[in-house]
Amino acid sequence: MKEVQNRSQDSEIESEEEDGDEETQQEQQNPQCQDQELCLLQFLDSTDDYLNLLDALSATLRQGWFELASARHSMGTSRISTALLDMKNHSAATSLRVDERDDGSVGMQPFINLRKWTSSEGGDSLGEEKYNDKLQRESGSPQLRQRNVSDLSDNLGKSSLKKEDALIVDDQVQKERSRTLSTFGTLVSPKLRLAQLSFENALELIVEIANKRIAMLSSFDEVKKGSEDTSSFKQVKEELEDTKV
Amino acid sequence: MAGKAQIPTKNSALISMIADEDTVVGFLLAGVGNVDLRRKTNYLIVDSKTTVKQIEDAFKEFTTREDIAIVMISQYVANMIRFLVDSYNKPIPAILEIPSKDHPYDPAHDSVLSRVKNLFSTESVASGRY
Repeated sequence: MKEVQNRSQDSEIESEEEDGDEETQQEQQNPQCQDQELCLLQFLDSTDDYLNLLDALSATLRQGWFELASARHSMGTSRISTALLDMKNHSAATSLRVDERDDGSVGMQPFINLRKWTSSEGGDSLGEEKYNDKLQRESGSPQLRQRNVSDLSDNLGKSSLKKEDALIVDDQVQKERSRTLSTFGTLVSPKLRLAQLSFENALELIVEIANKRIAMLSSFDEVKKGSEDTSSFKQVKEELEDTKV
Repeated sequence: MAGKAQIPTKNSALISMIADEDTVVGFLLAGVGNVDLRRKTNYLIVDSKTTVKQIEDAFKEFTTREDIAIVMISQYVANMIRFLVDSYNKPIPAILEIPSKDHPYDPAHDSVLSRVKNLFSTESVASGRY
């Protein structure tokens, strides 16, 4: 009986030692596993965002089509038609800017920014981008952080200037919008203006979806690479086992 | 899938469309329409008379043009040239399948999501990992 007990104790000690070896191996593999898990998590997150954004896009487009149909109903079918489209040489009033962005584990990725209502003649940005740039520049100045009474008047002056800038930008955006609407006549239905706003919102969503898609594809690449490495490792292991047998 | 070649950064890139009349008119109202000196547009209006060849040519042209960053294509139109859409794998221009008036968006047909589905199904069969 004692011999049996001793044997069982020895085997327990051996199994503990084996467990310890496995743990050290796992610790060595952990950084790789964590990276893979992070990639998988990022990928699943972007897939979820992608699907949610597409739902939002479907709703916005539906609204736009409805308003376009209403405008067509009030203005007449012949007044909202592709036959009226401007086929003369002109550049897009709304365009995109493609930058590079470092996205953590995945590395450098292209990032698309929407440039709404940029002037076609000078190539100068009129829309939100210009206004945001100005705000960023002014908020970056250290003077705004001082809370002296003497600076308060300066700050008030600056905020009024900002409002003026915003009004100028708004005015120019309105001009660009009217210019696009003028394709379908000078007096257009308010529904057509609403349709224009809906499609502008859809455009913002589309840019977001495009960025999500890029993020999704790059994390998908990483996940795929990781799974291929694991599966090839498994294949090699299986082949070795086969040869041993 | 998303090629890791040099990323082309552009200051002013276009959005192109291959879609039905109402979708194209709507986005033109939002100011994305562009006509160059050779009277080439950045959109194709698909109706009952449009042939698959025309759609294929437009898709190839928009995906090879350097001044385009996003190609929007109605999902039902993408289904007509599925082999081309599925074989496209560059990050820029990004291909987006959008719903159309008569055909709601179906995630099962989306080229990106179907690739994902394929990977996960083969993985689960091969290793039971996911």
